[in-house]
Amino acid sequence: MSEDKKKQKQELAIAELIESTEEVNEENQTEVKIAKAESAEVTENENKIFRKYKIKDIVFLAIITACTLVTGAIMPLLVNVPLFGIIQLGLGLQFSLFPAIGMMKVRKPFALLLQSIFISIFLVFMFPPMVLIIVCAIVAEALTLLIFRGYKNDWACVFAGTLYMPMTIPLLYMYYNVFYTVSGEEKAAVSMFIGSGNVGVIIGITIAVIAVCFVGSLIGMIIARELKKAGKLK
Amino acid sequence: MFFFRYKSNLYPLIAIASALLILVFGLVMARTVFCSYFLLGAFVWMFLFGCWKQCLKALPLFIVFGGIFTTIAYFASDRNFDAALAMANRFGSVFLAIVPGMSVQAVAMTRNLSQLHTPRAITLGMLITMSFVPVLHGEIKRVREAMKTRGAGSILNPKIFYRAFLIPLVARLVDISDTLSVSIETRGFTLGKSKYTVYKKEVINIFDILYFSGLVAGVVLVCVL
Repeated sequence: MSEDKKKQKQELAIAELIESTEEVNEENQTEVKIAKAESAEVTENENKIFRKYKIKDIVFLAIITACTLVTGAIMPLLVNVPLFGIIQLGLGLQFSLFPAIGMMKVRKPFALLLQSIFISIFLVFMFPPMVLIIVCAIVAEALTLLIFRGYKNDWACVFAGTLYMPMTIPLLYMYYNVFYTVSGEEKAAVSMFIGSGNVGVIIGITIAVIAVCFVGSLIGMIIARELKKAGKLK
Repeated sequence: MFFFRYKSNLYPLIAIASALLILVFGLVMARTVFCSYFLLGAFVWMFLFGCWKQCLKALPLFIVFGGIFTTIAYFASDRNFDAALAMANRFGSVFLAIVPGMSVQAVAMTRNLSQLHTPRAITLGMLITMSFVPVLHGEIKRVREAMKTRGAGSILNPKIFYRAFLIPLVARLVDISDTLSVSIETRGFTLGKSKYTVYKKEVINIFDILYFSGLVAGVVLVCVL
């Protein structure tokens, strides 16, 4: 009798154990399902071109803009040097490197536009025509979105970073053309500012600016990749 | 009675407008002697309206950089005084335009923009950018000190600059950004369309109006003369 009872007890224990294991398995499966659903949601979110901005995105873009601003503080000195494209040549590296890092971290449309808006408040005091950089950011972003369909690709960030500063050349060309004719007498200075009317000089400087900006963006991309590898840039 | 009370800081939008006025007018009229008088008058005017500290900060910069470029312009244009004067006036207007900007506090600018219902993402970004500059200077100093401690070599070497300066600096900025964003989020700050209150509102004062009117009067006077 006692052996039968023992057997019954053992069977009962085994049945309970099996039941609890099944319960745990079910729970695990539900957890896996939830995790899968969440990851699917995240990937779906990442696949979207336009995504909502978070505070951490804004904060990083603002901080990286501060870097652009500090390194670009030579602008008030450059604006008075009567040489075509001197502003872009002097600032091209900084204005492509840091925005590229910003876009590599915040891979969302309007990242470049937000950076230009943040910096524009300072450019008003340094050199108001450079506020037009907002227009350049819009054009650069539009082209990037058209070609790359977002910032997933690293080269999209390089592309936008490269186009950003050189786009100010035609805008400043127009500015000097319109603005300096007001005084009328400074033909020599104006002609130097707008490339002496020499197409070769204009094209040469423009290519040089694009090259500088490309190098800057490339360095930005390399830095961002290295930080990503180190687990710093998520 | 706040409208008539003396205050040492300018209304942020008035500061921006005055900077634009000085810069555009200074550049347009750079070749005239009257422009120099206008800039001198504007300097004194700003000094009187609470920007004396910023004026004193900008003055040595103008003397050094303006002096260098004015000398270059003088000799480059076959000792032409007009060219040198134009260059001096241009530098004067650029450095004077920076003064009202320096007098505006980051918080004041943010409050002012918030009052005007500017999106929170933009006001927050501007606030951080404006107030982060001194922090950035500190971080740059720290990274450079670390370089010296490690004996990393000269910062002028591109490889060392990249490896020992740029990478640590950006890594540090990423860390600061993460900490700052967590700090902002824990304070309940959102980017949504939630209602908010600006407790210390930026209010335009009679001194702001007087300050801007004085500058406009100066511009008109130079144009008439």
